[in-house]
Amino acid sequence: MKRRRFLSSVAILVPAALVSTEVLLPSCNQGVEDNSFSQENINLLDEIGETIIPATATSPGAKAAHIGEFMKVYVTDCYTAQQQVVFWEGINKVKKLSNEKFGKEFLKLSVSQKQEILRSLENESKDSKAANGNSGTQQFYPMIKGLVAFGFFSSKPGATKALRYEQTPDRYVADVPYKKGDKAWATT
Amino acid sequence: MGKGTKENTYDAIVIGSGISGGWAAKELCEHGVKTLVLERGRDVKHLIDYPTMAKDPWDLPHRNDLTVKQQEENPVVSKCYAFREDAMHFFVKDKEHPYIQEKPFDWIRGYQVGGKSLTWGRCTQRWSNFEFTGPQRFGYGWDWPIRYEDVAPWYSHVEKFIGVCGSKDGLEAMPDGEFLPPFELNVVEKHLKESILKNYGNRYFVHARWAHLTQPNQIHLDQGRGRCHARNLCQRGCPFGGYFSSNSSTLPWAAKTGNLTIRPYSVVHSIIYDEQKQKATGVRVIDTNTKEATEFFAKVIFVNGSTLNSNLILLNSTSNRFPNGLGNDSGILGKYICHHNYRGSLGGEMEGFTDSYYDGRNPTDAIIANYRNLHKIDTNFVGGYTTYAGARRYRSDGSTNPEQMGADFKESMTELGPWTVYSYVQAETIPKERNHVRLSTDKKDEWGIPQLITSVEYDDNDEKLLKDFFEQTEEMFTRAGVKNIHYKDSKQAPGLDIHEMGGCRMGNDPKTSMLDKWNALHHCKNVFVTDGACMASTGNQSPSILYMTLTARACNHVVDEMKKGNL
Repeated sequence: MKRRRFLSSVAILVPAALVSTEVLLPSCNQGVEDNSFSQENINLLDEIGETIIPATATSPGAKAAHIGEFMKVYVTDCYTAQQQVVFWEGINKVKKLSNEKFGKEFLKLSVSQKQEILRSLENESKDSKAANGNSGTQQFYPMIKGLVAFGFFSSKPGATKALRYEQTPDRYVADVPYKKGDKAWATT
Repeated sequence: MGKGTKENTYDAIVIGSGISGGWAAKELCEHGVKTLVLERGRDVKHLIDYPTMAKDPWDLPHRNDLTVKQQEENPVVSKCYAFREDAMHFFVKDKEHPYIQEKPFDWIRGYQVGGKSLTWGRCTQRWSNFEFTGPQRFGYGWDWPIRYEDVAPWYSHVEKFIGVCGSKDGLEAMPDGEFLPPFELNVVEKHLKESILKNYGNRYFVHARWAHLTQPNQIHLDQGRGRCHARNLCQRGCPFGGYFSSNSSTLPWAAKTGNLTIRPYSVVHSIIYDEQKQKATGVRVIDTNTKEATEFFAKVIFVNGSTLNSNLILLNSTSNRFPNGLGNDSGILGKYICHHNYRGSLGGEMEGFTDSYYDGRNPTDAIIANYRNLHKIDTNFVGGYTTYAGARRYRSDGSTNPEQMGADFKESMTELGPWTVYSYVQAETIPKERNHVRLSTDKKDEWGIPQLITSVEYDDNDEKLLKDFFEQTEEMFTRAGVKNIHYKDSKQAPGLDIHEMGGCRMGNDPKTSMLDKWNALHHCKNVFVTDGACMASTGNQSPSILYMTLTARACNHVVDEMKKGNL
C-alpha cells in the first residue's frame, strides 16, 4: 500500500493545522477586537498574504489567490480553538503595531513598512524560540507564513502560474532535465 | 426472520463486493452460475459515483485537509492516510458501525459496492514459497495446505485480467508474473538499486508490482478500462479505469453475463445451516434502511465480507450443530488474527542528481524484496519484511532563504529542493491464539447483530523486526550516500495497516484449521471463505492479489464440483 504521507510532508510546508500547539502567546491586546472574518479583516489578510508572497513579474501573488477568503474557510474549520487564539492575537498585533509605529492601518502602509511590521513579529517568534527552545510551540509568524504558502501554492494562480500543474499528465518520464530556476510541480 | 421464496434462490451467494467478492462474482457468473452479491453499503457505479475524480486542489474547500470536526468525530478512521477530503466518502465513519476495542485496533472499513478495492494500495507482488512454508519450517505457525505451485497459475489468471505492471526480476523471494511495463525508476532510485546490489549482493531494489494499466491489453479494453494517466489520484476512483477495482473491472464484467444480481444495503446477519442436509442453505439479510429481514438461498456461499466482518458473520451463524459459529468445531474461529506491521518509516536526503527531475506523477513505489529469514533464520526474530522505497523531489519550503517574506522568498519556494529518499516497512507478524476477535454478549449494532470485540496486539518479535528494519535500511541508505536520515516508529495500533488477516485459517487438519485447501469450511463444505480471513500466516507481501487468486481458484473448483453434481 502506498503511504508516503508522512515522509512526503517533511520537505514541504506542513499545513499549520497539523502543527501542535502547546504554549500560547500571552495576550497583548486591549480594547474591542474584531476576531471575525469580516470584509475588513479579509482585506487585511490579503495584504499580509501579499506581503509574504507578492505578485512578481512571473506570477500573481497571494492576493490574487484570494488568500483571505481561503483563510476564512481553513482557519475556521481546520484550526483548533488554541490555534485560532494564536491566529487572532497575531492579527490584532499587526493592527496594533501598524498604528503604534506608523500611525496608520496596515493596508495604508508602504511595502517596506508592511514588511517591517511582519519582520518584527518574525523576530519575536525567533527570540521566543531561542529563549525557550520551544520549537514545538506555535508562533504567529511561522503560522501565518505556512498558511499563506499552503493556501497560495494550492490555489489556481499559485499552482498553475507560480508552479507547474496538470491534473492529468498522461505520461510518466522518470528522468527529465532540471536547471535551477525551473518551477516545481504543484502536486506530487 | 422473514421467509424467502423461490425468487430469493440463486445458484451462489457472495457476501461482499470488495476485491475478493468481485472476483467470486466474475468467475462464477462467467461459468453460468446465477450469483447474488450482497453488499451492506450503498451502490458505487464506476465513473458515475466518483464525485471528486476531476477536482483540482483548489476545488477542495480545505485543500484536501480534514476539519477539526471531522477529526473529532472520527478518531479512528481519520488516522488513515487516505481518509482525506477527496476520498472520505469511501470510508466508514466511526459512528456508522461501532465495535469494541479491548486492545487498541484501528478498524478501517469501506462499506459500499467495491468495498476497499476503490481505495486500496494496488501493490500486487506474489507470495513465494518462503512465505507459504516459513511458519512451519521455523516453528512459528501452522502449515498452509497449499504451496506456491498451487496458486501460480491462478496468479497468472488474475494478473492478466486486472493488469499488473512490473519488471521480471528473477527473484526467489518475489516470483515474477504476467507484467505490463513498469513505471521506470528515476535517477536516484536507479542509484539506490545499483548501490544496494553492489554493497550487499543479495538485496534487490526493484520495481514493485502494481495493478496499473501502463499498457492495456485487449482484455482490459474489453472491460472498458484504459491506460493509467499518471495522475496519482487513485483513491478518488479513476476516470480511465487505470487501476483495478471491483467497480471498474470484475463487477461490470460479471454483470455483462446476465447472471449477476447485486443487492446493496444488505447486511448479512448469519448463514443458515440445515441440520438435516448438513450444509448451508442460504443467508439471513437485514435491509440496512428498513431493518427488514429477508432470507436468500443458494447451493454455494462465498464469504468475502472483509477479514473481520467475515469472522463476525461466521461467529454469528450459530445452530444446534454449530453453537460456537459455523464450522467451528475446533474452537479457533476468530483466533490467530494477524496483520502487517506498518509502523516503521525512514527517509533522508540525497546529495547531487540535481539536474534531473521527472514528468508526470508516478503512482507506485519501488520495493526492496525481503532478504530476511529466507532459507534459514539469520536474525533474532522470525518472519520477513518488505521495504517500500523510492525517491522524490519536492518544492523547497524556502526556509533557507535569507528573507522569509517577499519576492525572493516566493521564488525560492517555486524551485525544487534536494532529492528526498523514503522507505516504509510492511512486515510479517506471527499469528497468535490470544490475538482474536469475538462477539459482544450484550452490545449490538443498529441491525441487531452483536458488535465485534477486537483484541489484537504486537509482540516482542515485532519490536525486534522493526529495529532490524531501521538498522538495515539506515545502513543501506547511508552506504548509498543518503544524508540527514530520520526515522519514525508511528506506534500505530494494529488495524491501521488495513492488512488484518486470519481468524478462519486454511489448513489440512480440521482440528487446527477452519478451511480446507479449496477454502471450504472443513465442516460445511458448501461455504467458502476467500478473503483475508482465510490466511494462515501473513507473509510479507501485500495480500489482496492472493485473496483474488485464492478466490478464482476456489470458484473454478466449485464450478467443477457443480458439474460433477457434488455441490
